Amino acid sequence: MNLGDWISQPVNWVFTLLALASAYSGVRVVTSQNVIRAALFLVGALASSAGLFLLLSAEFVALTLVLVYIGAVIVLFLFGIMITRAPLGRDVALDHKRRAPAAITSIILFAVLSWASIRAFAGREVTGVGDATDTRLLGEALLGRFVVPFEVVSFLLLAALIGGITLARKDLSPAEEEAREAT
Amino acid sequence: MSLVVTPGWYMTLAALLFAIGALGILIRRNALVMFMCIELMLNAVNLTFVAAGRALGNLDGQMAVFFVLVVAAAEVVVGLAIIVAIFRRRESASVDELSEMAG
Amino acid sequence: MGFEIDYLAIAPELILVATIVMVLVLDFVLPRRAKYFTAIASVLGVTFAALPLLILAVDGGSREMFDGSYTVDTFALVLKGLFIVAGYLVLLMSVSYIEGDRYYQGEYYFLILCSILGSLVMASSRDLIVLFIGLELTTAPLFMLAGWRKGDMKSNEASLKYYILGVLSTALMLFGMSLVFGLTGEVSFDGIREGIGDAAAGDASTALGLAVLLIIVGFGFKVSAVPFHFWAPDTYEGAPTPVTAYLSVNSKAAGFVGMLILMYLALPGASNYWAPALWIMAAASMTIGNLAALRQQNIVRLLAYSSIAQAGFMLVPFAAAAVSGTDLSEAFSATVVYLVIYSIMNLGAFAVVIAGARKTGTGDIDGWAGLGSYDARLGVLAAVFFFSLAGIPPLAGWFAKFVMFRSVMIAGGVSTVALAVIAAVNSVIAFYYYARVVKSIWLDGAPATALGDRADTPAGSLRLALIIAGVLTVLVGIYPTLASVFGDASRVLAAG
Repeated sequence: MNLGDWISQPVNWVFTLLALASAYSGVRVVTSQNVIRAALFLVGALASSAGLFLLLSAEFVALTLVLVYIGAVIVLFLFGIMITRAPLGRDVALDHKRRAPAAITSIILFAVLSWASIRAFAGREVTGVGDATDTRLLGEALLGRFVVPFEVVSFLLLAALIGGITLARKDLSPAEEEAREAT
Repeated sequence: MSLVVTPGWYMTLAALLFAIGALGILIRRNALVMFMCIELMLNAVNLTFVAAGRALGNLDGQMAVFFVLVVAAAEVVVGLAIIVAIFRRRESASVDELSEMAG
Repeated sequence: MGFEIDYLAIAPELILVATIVMVLVLDFVLPRRAKYFTAIASVLGVTFAALPLLILAVDGGSREMFDGSYTVDTFALVLKGLFIVAGYLVLLMSVSYIEGDRYYQGEYYFLILCSILGSLVMASSRDLIVLFIGLELTTAPLFMLAGWRKGDMKSNEASLKYYILGVLSTALMLFGMSLVFGLTGEVSFDGIREGIGDAAAGDASTALGLAVLLIIVGFGFKVSAVPFHFWAPDTYEGAPTPVTAYLSVNSKAAGFVGMLILMYLALPGASNYWAPALWIMAAASMTIGNLAALRQQNIVRLLAYSSIAQAGFMLVPFAAAAVSGTDLSEAFSATVVYLVIYSIMNLGAFAVVIAGARKTGTGDIDGWAGLGSYDARLGVLAAVFFFSLAGIPPLAGWFAKFVMFRSVMIAGGVSTVALAVIAAVNSVIAFYYYARVVKSIWLDGAPATALGDRADTPAGSLRLALIIAGVLTVLVGIYPTLASVFGDASRVLAAG
């Protein structure tokens, strides 16, 4: 295929933009020396992923990603940063001595993974761009065939909730506990 | 000949995000930033699931993403609770030192 | 469209769910002094959850639900039985420990029960998503329980370390799973098994190999196999001891079960990728785990390295059979037998550690010198469990080792024999450090300070745990058929 054909397809443009945004934000999450900034770049990476999901016609998943991640998880991260009073300015969190081997490892990881998946998925196409996924089908699958993991995951959330509160709460002395119970 | 983006492109992007996340795990020492890097890796997982599901015309990929999202959210809660617990411990330790000095 | 739900088949899970809710409500209602009842409710709930297992076992047969993604067959029942018995013993060990240190009792039992529920679900999973969710519910509560001694920096760090590596391993495993899904278009084990042939043949073979390796690495962290073991000693030492017992038995068994059913039911077509990886992990875990255990002074760290080495032994049958290309069903049942016996004797060893640490006031092996002279019963039990771990007849451990070597002999082949030799050498090394603990307890003189006022006997529940584990260890050693029943049951799955 030649370049002119490629440019004439808007889908290619949108993909390229979103992919670049996602990759750039990802790199900034890793390299930012400011924790808040890293969290905000994570928003960028996730938002561009949500865009890619839309491009793949997975609307419901895209919106869930926006609501759950950008709406809740990132806010949780920001709260975590505030509560633990992580340094808001520049933070020397990078361990310089181990940077080179780590970078080489991850470049090799990327090279091997991408080479293998390009080979594996060479013949396939993303078909039906623009056809919406029927959300009803998703709902039926969730409460039909996948009802066991659906119910079990609710216990995971409950465990995280209760365990998290217990672990993060301030310990009271026995006297204080008694006093609280009396009221 | 295909003019549109093939799944291979999505997979390559997913591999890139995964590798960036792995790099972050290896070089960052701040626990909060490490969590963020793990979120990046899970995001790559989601991208693979959705792209593969789309290429195969299979909804199971999107189902998997739901579960990954919920589990990731739960894990973040757990991780932050652990960090807050550690922070409280450090804080209270310094308070103890202060009271000893005052006494 | 609707799905038939077989309520008898999921009765153990339902009873556990009811218990979890009851523990939460009790914890909310009870005054502080009566929180003890949450422990009683948990123990009773787990006991009741075992009853439907017996009914289902007598009934036999395989019950499949939700397009076969949730299956209750004899194999699943064996593992559910293992998880429930091990969970029961851990609960018994926890009672006095948790009560003594003013922890959050209700929440503690709630989290342990959630983790047991996760392992029960995982034993029945025949689908990537159910497997993943079951595994997460097994491990996520443990991240928090590892940090349950909130005032202790070691415990905090244990939980942070365990958490980061646990979540990282989940991410690696999930990426592997997403590639497997992309290559086969299926999440159910049956579908993957059928689709894997095409994937392994063509251009996708590299991607399949990478996917399998990522999954193996993810599980390697969960079962703390070398080279993914470095979190284990610190986490084991920092976590409350009953939680360490749970980590080294239930959570490790859950990781093993997940890995083996995935490899055996879904990915047998990719065994040329995972077999060498398992072989290396088995050999490295045995050797490095044992060599590191030799140097340990703290008994919990010694058991941590010992459990790494034991994980290596558990991998041996499966790795050997897969490398030599023989039928995997024999290896599968050998691994299950090893897992069952290991769980009982290792829990016994941890119960001894809890009782002994209270008695001697230390976790140092030298500090336990002469324990046998002032508490003979505990000394005898310590000898039973540690010699059993070393594999000395007539204690249960010898049968586990015997089954392992037998399955290796059945497999045959050069690389298999090499693995058997490594296992044999390591059994000898392991004997040395297990025997060192027993020597310290029985042959070394007691320090003068130890004899005095430390006369307190273990609490009733801990004694019950010691008795159950001790009796089972001796019985299985004398009548090995008791354990081979489990192996046969897991072979049914292999045939069907």
